[in-house]
Amino acid sequence: MIQLQGVGRTYQRPTGEAVRALDNVSLRIERGEFVAIVGSSGSGKSSLMNILGLLDRPDQGSYLLDGQNVADLSVNQQARVRNQRVGFVFQAFHLLPRTSALENVELPLLYSDRSEIDGLGRRALEAVGLSDRIDHRPSELSGGQQQRVAIARALVNDPDLLLADEPTGNLDAGSAGEIMGILETLNRAGRTIVLVTHDAALAAHCGRIARLEAGRVAADDHRAPAKDAAQEGR
Amino acid sequence: MKAQRLVKSSLRAMARYKLRSGFMMLGSLVGVAALTFVISIGATAERKLLGTVRQLFGASSIVVSAGGGFFMGGSRAEAARLTIDDLETIAQELPGIEVWDPLQVLPGAQLRRAEQTTTARLMGQSERSERVWERGTTSGEYFDAAAVAGSARVALIGETVARELFGDQDPLGEEILIGSVPFRVVGILERFGTDVHGMDRDAEVVVPISTAMRRVMNVDSIRAAKLLVKDPSLVEETTRQVKRILRERHALAAGQPDDFTVVTSLAVQKMVGRIERVFFLYLPLVAGVSLLAGGAVAGSLMLASVNERVAEIGLRRAVGARPEDIRAQFLIETAVTTLGGGVMGIVIGGAGALLLASRMGLGGVLSGQAIALGIVLSTVTGLLAGLLPARRAALLQPADALR
Repeated sequence: MIQLQGVGRTYQRPTGEAVRALDNVSLRIERGEFVAIVGSSGSGKSSLMNILGLLDRPDQGSYLLDGQNVADLSVNQQARVRNQRVGFVFQAFHLLPRTSALENVELPLLYSDRSEIDGLGRRALEAVGLSDRIDHRPSELSGGQQQRVAIARALVNDPDLLLADEPTGNLDAGSAGEIMGILETLNRAGRTIVLVTHDAALAAHCGRIARLEAGRVAADDHRAPAKDAAQEGR
Repeated sequence: MKAQRLVKSSLRAMARYKLRSGFMMLGSLVGVAALTFVISIGATAERKLLGTVRQLFGASSIVVSAGGGFFMGGSRAEAARLTIDDLETIAQELPGIEVWDPLQVLPGAQLRRAEQTTTARLMGQSERSERVWERGTTSGEYFDAAAVAGSARVALIGETVARELFGDQDPLGEEILIGSVPFRVVGILERFGTDVHGMDRDAEVVVPISTAMRRVMNVDSIRAAKLLVKDPSLVEETTRQVKRILRERHALAAGQPDDFTVVTSLAVQKMVGRIERVFFLYLPLVAGVSLLAGGAVAGSLMLASVNERVAEIGLRRAVGARPEDIRAQFLIETAVTTLGGGVMGIVIGGAGALLLASRMGLGGVLSGQAIALGIVLSTVTGLLAGLLPARRAALLQPADALR
């Protein structure tokens, strides 16, 4: 599904100094995988995430998504891919303030060409167990509930790829367990999930762990996921 | 479908930031209110002015008055002489003149009827004034040529005079004293109301010109005369001829100034045009400047809003918004906000104009032009004010915006 070949990304600091965030990264992710990308801060995890999510373009190498080279897509076509085929979950939730949970979840539908959108938002909230919080604003929800709203938003257009960037970073252990449980359920239902984390315990839930160091893939382990850990957290 | 969703979402975003939207609205509200007020009042005054001018001059008329200088009595009006003979000669010599009417005026004539007294403008006119000045009677009848020829003591009184002297009684056939001369009331003048000078034109008495000159004022000259020309295209040439004849008859040497003034409907129209330019160009310009200030406020508030909502913009991009969707969102937000302010401004400015007009007794009109202009200008202001913020928002890189 995802095929990175020799991907590099260099940033220019305001001081003029160049920072090589990604250096010759090659990675292949198959449909249905649950991959953890781990590494210390500054190892290039977030840069890799941005490139996988088409929020940023590599300046070296190529990225094929379902065989399509994303470099060939226009800005608008990329927006369409993000809208239809990728769902994002962020550490900081990024919910719109003063806006109900339902409206937040329906945000991606605003930019979709689908004409039949009634009930999709409600169904997505139902899937994360928040049917009774539809009209609540983010300020009225706990951190774990906010992140579940964010997951519902990521799912509302039924994408096949879910990108989660430190989704439990701002949560207590209990809420973190819930979120991981939801992600695992989604993965079992066939969705491809890429989880960026610096937390080895979280990564242990995943079937595969790729370790980044200084912008390079230092390790890539395929293993059997520790499924029970998620159950404990619930 | 999609556009509709975008507009709805922009409206919701606007409602989320009530205080900021309120301030943005305020700018266009003040500007549009000023604009609507000024234009509506201008239109009301213009309608009144044009109505009076039309009544005074008609489409093709010439007013000759005694004295040089300005219309209706210049600095040397007292010394000037303008006679019925002057006008009769003009009417005979110039075939373009259809009909004319002389005018002599006594501004503060004392009127009495039994114990009731009042002051009114006395006007001596001919039987042709009904036609020339387009003002007839609502009851009774206009005096005829025989009355003018015989210096009959008959009077037409305005509504104000009738009320002051007779109250609810019928004045027709009754006798009144003008000064010490008794007159019989033969008609009530058509209602006129207040003219542009603020004068009550219903506090008037019209009597035959000969009677006014000989029996009341004891003068042998007239103050003015109005001439109707058969064809509007003849006005200019006829005016020249009128001036030539008057100068000849008054034996004015070359280089000596006129001792009379000739005003035509064309000249008045030019003057009205100048006044209109003030109303419709300069005053709205002032209002436009305040709208501009409002636009600047809206623009800077929106710019601040973009900076404050960087994360929101990044998120919207992440879930599939194209740069043009972001641009449209901020443009719509600004335009709808200023348009909202504009609509409120129209209501406030319009209400103010109607209120003022009714207090001044002008019978106000709400200018449709002002409403259209207010809506268009506040929308355009919003779009212009939103342009830069929207552009900045659209140019944000999603990865940077989410950081």
